[in-house]
Amino acid sequence: MTSATSDDTGVGVASWEVAAREFAAWRAGDRAALDRLVRLLTPVLWHLVRAYGLDRESAEDVVQTTWLALVRNVDSVRDPQAVLRWTTTTARREAWRTARAGKRVDVAEPQTLDAALPPVGGPDTTVLAGRTARTLWRHIAELSERCQRLLRVIAFEDRPDYASLSSELGIAVGSIGPTRGRCLDKLRGLLAADPEWSDQRD
Amino acid sequence: MTDDLTLLRAVHDMYDTLDPPPVDLADRVLFTLELEDLEFELMRLREADQLVGARGPETASTVTFSAESLTVMVTVSDSGPQRRRIDGWIAPGGALRVELRTPRGVHETQADADGRFAFAEVPSGLVQIMIHPTTGATVPLHRPVVTPPVQL
Repeated sequence: MTSATSDDTGVGVASWEVAAREFAAWRAGDRAALDRLVRLLTPVLWHLVRAYGLDRESAEDVVQTTWLALVRNVDSVRDPQAVLRWTTTTARREAWRTARAGKRVDVAEPQTLDAALPPVGGPDTTVLAGRTARTLWRHIAELSERCQRLLRVIAFEDRPDYASLSSELGIAVGSIGPTRGRCLDKLRGLLAADPEWSDQRD
Repeated sequence: MTDDLTLLRAVHDMYDTLDPPPVDLADRVLFTLELEDLEFELMRLREADQLVGARGPETASTVTFSAESLTVMVTVSDSGPQRRRIDGWIAPGGALRVELRTPRGVHETQADADGRFAFAEVPSGLVQIMIHPTTGATVPLHRPVVTPPVQL
Protein backbone atom coordinates (compact mmCIF):
# COMPACT_ATOMS: atom_id res chain seq x y z
CA MET A 1 0.00 0.00 0.00
CA THR A 2 1.51 3.25 -1.04
CA SER A 3 -0.84 6.06 -0.25
CA ALA A 4 -2.14 7.22 3.06
CA THR A 5 -5.74 7.11 4.16
CA SER A 6 -8.00 8.04 1.32
CA ASP A 7 -5.91 10.26 -0.87
CA ASP A 8 -7.09 8.66 -4.05
CA THR A 9 -10.79 9.00 -3.44
CA GLY A 10 -10.97 11.78 -0.93
CA VAL A 11 -14.38 10.61 0.16
CA GLY A 12 -13.57 10.33 3.81
CA VAL A 13 -13.57 6.58 4.06
CA ALA A 14 -12.11 4.86 7.08
CA SER A 15 -8.37 4.87 7.14
CA TRP A 16 -6.61 1.56 6.80
CA GLU A 17 -3.77 3.04 8.78
CA VAL A 18 -5.91 3.79 11.81
CA ALA A 19 -7.56 0.38 11.49
CA ALA A 20 -4.12 -1.27 11.30
CA ARG A 21 -2.91 0.59 14.37
CA GLU A 22 -5.95 -0.36 16.47
CA PHE A 23 -5.80 -3.95 15.28
CA ALA A 24 -2.11 -4.23 16.20
CA ALA A 25 -2.78 -2.65 19.60
CA TRP A 26 -5.61 -5.08 20.26
CA ARG A 27 -3.44 -8.02 19.27
CA ALA A 28 -0.82 -6.72 21.66
CA GLY A 29 -3.34 -6.93 24.49
CA ASP A 30 -5.14 -3.58 24.50
CA ARG A 31 -8.79 -4.54 24.77
CA ALA A 32 -9.98 -0.95 24.29
CA ALA A 33 -8.39 -0.93 20.86
CA LEU A 34 -10.90 -3.54 19.69
CA ASP A 35 -13.64 -1.25 20.91
CA ARG A 36 -12.23 1.60 18.83
CA LEU A 37 -11.74 -0.64 15.79
CA VAL A 38 -15.36 -1.82 15.92
CA ARG A 39 -16.64 1.74 16.26
CA LEU A 40 -14.44 2.89 13.41
CA LEU A 41 -15.39 0.22 10.90
CA THR A 42 -18.95 -0.78 11.76
CA PRO A 43 -20.52 2.15 9.87
CA VAL A 44 -18.39 1.33 6.82
CA LEU A 45 -19.43 -2.32 6.93
CA TRP A 46 -23.06 -1.28 7.28
CA HIS A 47 -22.99 0.75 4.08
CA LEU A 48 -21.13 -1.92 2.14
CA VAL A 49 -23.60 -4.57 3.22
CA ARG A 50 -26.61 -2.38 2.45
CA ALA A 51 -25.18 -1.89 -1.05
CA TYR A 52 -26.15 -5.51 -1.69
CA GLY A 53 -29.80 -4.76 -1.08
CA LEU A 54 -30.21 -6.54 2.25
CA ASP A 55 -32.92 -5.26 4.55
CA ARG A 56 -31.82 -3.68 7.79
CA GLU A 57 -32.19 -6.79 9.96
CA SER A 58 -30.20 -8.96 7.56
CA ALA A 59 -27.60 -6.22 7.24
CA GLU A 60 -27.16 -6.18 11.01
CA ASP A 61 -26.76 -9.96 11.01
CA VAL A 62 -24.04 -9.73 8.39
CA VAL A 63 -22.16 -7.01 10.27
CA GLN A 64 -22.26 -9.08 13.48
CA THR A 65 -21.16 -12.19 11.61
CA THR A 66 -18.26 -10.32 10.04
CA TRP A 67 -16.89 -9.17 13.38
CA LEU A 68 -17.26 -12.61 14.88
CA ALA A 69 -15.39 -14.03 11.89
CA LEU A 70 -12.56 -11.57 12.44
CA VAL A 71 -12.20 -12.37 16.13
CA ARG A 72 -12.44 -16.10 15.52
CA ASN A 73 -9.98 -16.07 12.64
CA VAL A 74 -7.69 -13.42 13.92
CA ASP A 75 -4.61 -15.46 13.10
CA SER A 76 -5.50 -15.39 9.44
CA VAL A 77 -4.88 -11.64 9.41
CA ARG A 78 -1.11 -11.81 9.52
CA ASP A 79 -0.48 -8.21 8.58
CA PRO A 80 -2.37 -5.57 10.59
CA GLN A 81 -2.38 -3.40 7.47
CA ALA A 82 -4.69 -5.92 5.87
CA VAL A 83 -7.40 -5.71 8.52
CA LEU A 84 -9.51 -3.12 6.73
CA ARG A 85 -9.53 -5.07 3.52
CA TRP A 86 -10.13 -8.35 5.37
CA THR A 87 -13.24 -7.05 7.12
CA THR A 88 -14.68 -5.17 4.15
CA THR A 89 -14.15 -8.07 1.78
CA THR A 90 -15.61 -10.54 4.27
CA ALA A 91 -18.66 -8.34 4.82
CA ARG A 92 -19.28 -7.87 1.10
CA ARG A 93 -18.89 -11.56 0.41
CA GLU A 94 -21.31 -12.50 3.18
CA ALA A 95 -23.78 -9.84 2.05
CA TRP A 96 -23.59 -11.05 -1.52
CA ARG A 97 -24.06 -14.65 -0.41
CA THR A 98 -27.07 -13.73 1.73
CA ALA A 99 -28.62 -11.64 -1.03
CA ARG A 100 -28.17 -14.44 -3.55
CA ALA A 101 -29.84 -16.87 -1.20
CA GLY A 102 -32.81 -14.64 -1.79
CA LYS A 103 -33.36 -13.64 1.76
CA ARG A 104 -35.25 -10.50 2.50
CA VAL A 105 -33.88 -8.27 -0.13
CA ASP A 106 -35.04 -4.75 0.40
CA VAL A 107 -35.54 -2.69 -2.70
CA ALA A 108 -37.64 -0.10 -0.97
CA GLU A 109 -36.65 3.30 0.25
CA PRO A 110 -34.59 3.38 3.40
CA GLN A 111 -36.71 3.45 6.50
CA THR A 112 -35.14 6.67 7.44
CA LEU A 113 -35.84 8.55 4.25
CA ASP A 114 -38.66 10.53 5.74
CA ALA A 115 -38.03 9.97 9.41
CA ALA A 116 -34.45 11.06 9.70
CA LEU A 117 -33.74 14.53 8.61
CA PRO A 118 -30.09 15.33 8.52
CA PRO A 119 -28.33 16.97 11.43
CA VAL A 120 -29.21 20.62 11.30
CA GLY A 121 -26.97 23.47 10.61
CA GLY A 122 -23.65 22.31 12.00
CA PRO A 123 -20.46 23.80 10.72
CA ASP A 124 -19.62 20.51 9.05
CA THR A 125 -19.86 21.28 5.37
CA THR A 126 -19.69 17.60 4.44
CA VAL A 127 -23.21 17.09 5.71
CA LEU A 128 -25.61 17.54 2.86
CA ALA A 129 -28.80 19.37 3.39
CA GLY A 130 -31.75 17.02 3.48
CA ARG A 131 -33.24 18.25 0.25
CA THR A 132 -29.95 17.83 -1.57
CA ALA A 133 -29.59 14.30 -0.22
CA ARG A 134 -33.07 13.38 -1.38
CA THR A 135 -32.45 14.74 -4.85
CA LEU A 136 -29.30 12.67 -5.08
CA TRP A 137 -31.08 9.60 -3.72
CA ARG A 138 -33.77 9.94 -6.37
CA HIS A 139 -31.31 10.13 -9.23
CA ILE A 140 -29.16 7.27 -7.97
CA ALA A 141 -32.32 5.18 -7.92
CA GLU A 142 -32.55 5.74 -11.68
CA LEU A 143 -29.19 4.06 -12.25
CA SER A 144 -28.82 0.35 -12.89
CA GLU A 145 -28.60 -1.92 -9.88
CA ARG A 146 -24.97 -2.60 -10.74
CA CYS A 147 -24.15 1.12 -10.79
CA GLN A 148 -25.95 1.71 -7.52
CA ARG A 149 -24.03 -1.08 -5.83
CA LEU A 150 -20.68 -0.08 -7.26
CA LEU A 151 -21.07 3.58 -6.34
CA ARG A 152 -22.12 2.81 -2.79
CA VAL A 153 -19.20 0.43 -2.35
CA ILE A 154 -16.59 2.82 -3.68
CA ALA A 155 -18.09 5.72 -1.74
CA PHE A 156 -17.30 3.84 1.47
CA GLU A 157 -14.37 1.60 0.65
CA ASP A 158 -11.07 2.93 -0.48
CA ARG A 159 -9.57 0.54 -3.04
CA PRO A 160 -11.98 -2.37 -2.72
CA ASP A 161 -10.63 -5.76 -3.60
CA TYR A 162 -11.37 -5.94 -7.32
CA ALA A 163 -11.34 -9.73 -7.55
CA SER A 164 -14.22 -10.15 -5.11
CA LEU A 165 -16.02 -7.11 -6.47
CA SER A 166 -15.74 -8.56 -9.94
CA SER A 167 -17.56 -11.77 -9.08
CA GLU A 168 -20.13 -9.94 -6.98
CA LEU A 169 -20.96 -7.48 -9.76
CA GLY A 170 -20.68 -10.02 -12.53
CA ILE A 171 -18.15 -8.01 -14.52
CA ALA A 172 -14.52 -8.60 -15.38
CA VAL A 173 -11.87 -7.07 -13.15
CA GLY A 174 -10.70 -4.92 -16.04
CA SER A 175 -14.20 -3.54 -16.52
CA ILE A 176 -14.64 -2.22 -12.99
CA GLY A 177 -12.74 1.01 -13.62
CA PRO A 178 -14.58 1.85 -16.87
CA THR A 179 -17.92 0.84 -15.32
CA ARG A 180 -17.26 3.11 -12.40
CA GLY A 181 -16.56 5.95 -14.85
CA ARG A 182 -19.74 5.31 -16.80
CA CYS A 183 -21.87 5.13 -13.65
CA LEU A 184 -20.48 8.43 -12.40
CA ASP A 185 -21.01 10.03 -15.82
CA LYS A 186 -24.58 8.85 -15.92
CA LEU A 187 -25.24 10.24 -12.47
CA ARG A 188 -23.55 13.51 -13.35
CA GLY A 189 -25.77 13.81 -16.42
CA LEU A 190 -28.94 13.19 -14.42
CA LEU A 191 -27.93 15.77 -11.85
CA ALA A 192 -26.91 18.34 -14.44
CA ALA A 193 -30.35 18.06 -16.04
CA ASP A 194 -32.11 18.65 -12.74
CA PRO A 195 -32.58 22.36 -11.98
CA GLU A 196 -33.29 21.49 -8.35
CA TRP A 197 -29.81 20.04 -8.01
CA SER A 198 -28.03 23.01 -9.57
CA ASP A 199 -30.03 25.38 -7.37
CA GLN A 200 -28.99 23.50 -4.28
CA ARG A 201 -25.38 23.21 -5.16
CA ASP A 202 -24.87 26.84 -6.06
CA MET B 1 -19.29 19.89 -13.73
CA THR B 2 -18.84 18.01 -10.51
CA ASP B 3 -15.66 15.95 -10.48
CA ASP B 4 -15.56 12.28 -9.42
CA LEU B 5 -14.29 12.94 -5.94
CA THR B 6 -16.88 15.56 -5.15
CA LEU B 7 -19.62 13.37 -6.52
CA LEU B 8 -18.49 10.31 -4.54
CA ARG B 9 -18.27 12.43 -1.43
CA ALA B 10 -21.84 13.57 -2.02
CA VAL B 11 -22.93 9.92 -2.47
CA HIS B 12 -21.13 9.02 0.76
CA ASP B 13 -22.80 11.83 2.72
CA MET B 14 -26.18 11.11 1.19
CA TYR B 15 -26.16 7.49 2.34
CA ASP B 16 -24.87 8.51 5.75
CA THR B 17 -27.76 10.94 6.02
CA LEU B 18 -30.60 8.85 4.63
CA ASP B 19 -29.61 5.29 5.51
CA PRO B 20 -27.36 5.48 8.57
CA PRO B 21 -26.40 2.42 10.59
CA PRO B 22 -28.47 1.84 13.74
CA VAL B 23 -26.97 4.08 16.41
CA ASP B 24 -26.21 1.19 18.74
CA LEU B 25 -24.97 -1.31 16.18
CA ALA B 26 -21.33 -1.06 17.29
CA ASP B 27 -22.42 -1.42 20.93
CA ARG B 28 -24.30 -4.57 20.09
CA VAL B 29 -21.36 -6.00 18.15
CA LEU B 30 -19.08 -5.34 21.12
CA PHE B 31 -21.59 -6.89 23.52
CA THR B 32 -21.35 -10.14 21.55
CA LEU B 33 -17.57 -9.96 21.27
CA GLU B 34 -17.31 -9.74 25.06
CA LEU B 35 -18.38 -13.38 25.31
CA GLU B 36 -15.41 -15.28 26.56
CA ASP B 37 -16.02 -18.41 24.58
CA LEU B 38 -16.74 -17.63 20.96
CA GLU B 39 -17.54 -21.22 20.12
CA PHE B 40 -21.24 -20.72 19.45
CA GLU B 41 -23.70 -20.27 16.63
CA LEU B 42 -25.05 -16.75 16.18
CA MET B 43 -28.78 -16.86 15.62
CA ARG B 44 -30.44 -14.70 13.04
CA LEU B 45 -33.28 -12.35 13.63
CA ARG B 46 -36.17 -13.78 11.67
CA GLU B 47 -39.05 -11.48 12.38
CA ALA B 48 -40.14 -8.81 14.76
CA ASP B 49 -43.70 -7.68 15.12
CA GLN B 50 -42.50 -4.19 15.83
CA LEU B 51 -39.22 -2.42 15.92
CA VAL B 52 -36.88 -4.06 18.33
CA GLY B 53 -36.08 -1.58 20.99
CA ALA B 54 -39.38 0.25 20.73
CA ARG B 55 -39.79 2.03 24.00
CA GLY B 56 -42.61 3.49 25.96
CA PRO B 57 -45.24 2.23 28.30
CA GLU B 58 -47.40 -0.78 27.56
CA THR B 59 -45.14 -2.12 24.90
CA ALA B 60 -44.93 -5.81 24.20
CA SER B 61 -43.09 -7.13 21.22
CA THR B 62 -42.33 -10.51 19.84
CA VAL B 63 -39.10 -11.41 18.12
CA THR B 64 -38.14 -14.70 16.53
CA PHE B 65 -34.56 -15.89 16.17
CA SER B 66 -33.39 -18.92 14.31
CA ALA B 67 -30.37 -21.16 14.36
CA GLU B 68 -29.73 -24.24 12.25
CA SER B 69 -31.33 -26.62 14.69
CA LEU B 70 -33.88 -24.54 16.59
CA THR B 71 -35.82 -21.31 16.74
CA VAL B 72 -36.69 -19.24 19.75
CA MET B 73 -39.63 -16.88 19.98
CA VAL B 74 -39.25 -14.17 22.56
CA THR B 75 -41.97 -11.88 23.87
CA VAL B 76 -40.96 -8.86 25.87
CA SER B 77 -43.44 -7.02 28.06
CA ASP B 78 -43.29 -4.46 30.83
CA SER B 79 -43.05 -5.67 34.41
CA GLY B 80 -42.51 -2.33 36.10
CA PRO B 81 -40.68 0.93 35.63
CA GLN B 82 -37.49 0.20 33.69
CA ARG B 83 -38.25 -3.48 34.06
CA ARG B 84 -39.12 -6.01 31.42
CA ARG B 85 -40.42 -9.53 31.44
CA ILE B 86 -39.17 -12.01 28.88
CA ASP B 87 -41.17 -15.06 27.88
CA GLY B 88 -39.43 -17.45 25.53
CA TRP B 89 -40.38 -20.52 23.61
CA ILE B 90 -37.79 -22.78 22.07
CA ALA B 91 -38.83 -25.03 19.20
CA PRO B 92 -38.43 -27.92 18.98
CA GLY B 93 -39.20 -27.94 22.68
CA GLY B 94 -36.71 -29.29 25.17
CA ALA B 95 -35.45 -28.72 28.69
CA LEU B 96 -32.46 -26.66 27.69
CA ARG B 97 -30.38 -24.42 29.90
CA VAL B 98 -30.96 -20.77 29.04
CA GLU B 99 -28.84 -17.79 29.98
CA LEU B 100 -29.76 -14.15 29.71
CA ARG B 101 -26.81 -11.79 29.44
CA THR B 102 -27.34 -8.23 30.59
CA PRO B 103 -24.80 -5.46 31.15
CA ARG B 104 -25.25 -6.13 34.88
CA GLY B 105 -24.77 -9.84 34.89
CA VAL B 106 -26.11 -13.15 33.77
CA HIS B 107 -29.46 -14.69 34.68
CA GLU B 108 -29.97 -18.39 34.27
CA THR B 109 -32.98 -20.64 33.99
CA GLN B 110 -34.05 -23.90 32.47
CA ALA B 111 -36.73 -24.32 29.83
CA ASP B 112 -39.48 -26.81 30.55
CA ALA B 113 -40.01 -29.92 28.42
CA ASP B 114 -42.03 -27.85 25.96
CA GLY B 115 -39.21 -25.37 25.57
CA ARG B 116 -40.85 -22.56 27.50
CA PHE B 117 -38.86 -20.29 29.77
CA ALA B 118 -39.19 -16.86 31.38
CA PHE B 119 -37.17 -14.14 33.02
CA ALA B 120 -39.45 -12.12 35.23
CA GLU B 121 -37.57 -8.91 35.93
CA VAL B 122 -34.98 -7.73 33.50
CA PRO B 123 -33.55 -4.22 33.55
CA SER B 124 -33.88 -2.32 30.29
CA GLY B 125 -30.81 -2.17 28.11
CA LEU B 126 -28.95 -4.64 25.94
CA VAL B 127 -29.70 -8.31 26.48
CA GLN B 128 -28.69 -11.47 24.74
CA ILE B 129 -30.06 -15.00 25.14
CA MET B 130 -27.77 -17.99 25.12
CA ILE B 131 -29.12 -21.54 24.87
CA HIS B 132 -26.74 -24.28 25.95
CA PRO B 133 -26.37 -27.94 25.09
CA THR B 134 -27.97 -29.67 28.05
CA THR B 135 -27.63 -33.22 29.28
CA GLY B 136 -30.93 -35.02 29.22
CA ALA B 137 -32.66 -32.55 26.91
CA THR B 138 -34.43 -34.05 23.93
CA VAL B 139 -32.92 -31.40 21.65
CA PRO B 140 -29.32 -32.23 20.83
CA LEU B 141 -27.17 -29.12 20.46
CA HIS B 142 -23.54 -29.38 19.48
CA ARG B 143 -22.65 -25.93 20.72
CA PRO B 144 -24.48 -23.02 22.34
CA VAL B 145 -26.69 -20.83 20.19
CA VAL B 146 -26.71 -17.11 20.92
CA THR B 147 -29.12 -14.41 19.80
CA PRO B 148 -27.78 -11.09 18.60
CA PRO B 149 -28.12 -8.52 21.39
CA VAL B 150 -31.33 -6.51 21.42
CA GLN B 151 -32.33 -3.40 23.31
CA LEU B 152 -35.08 -3.88 25.84
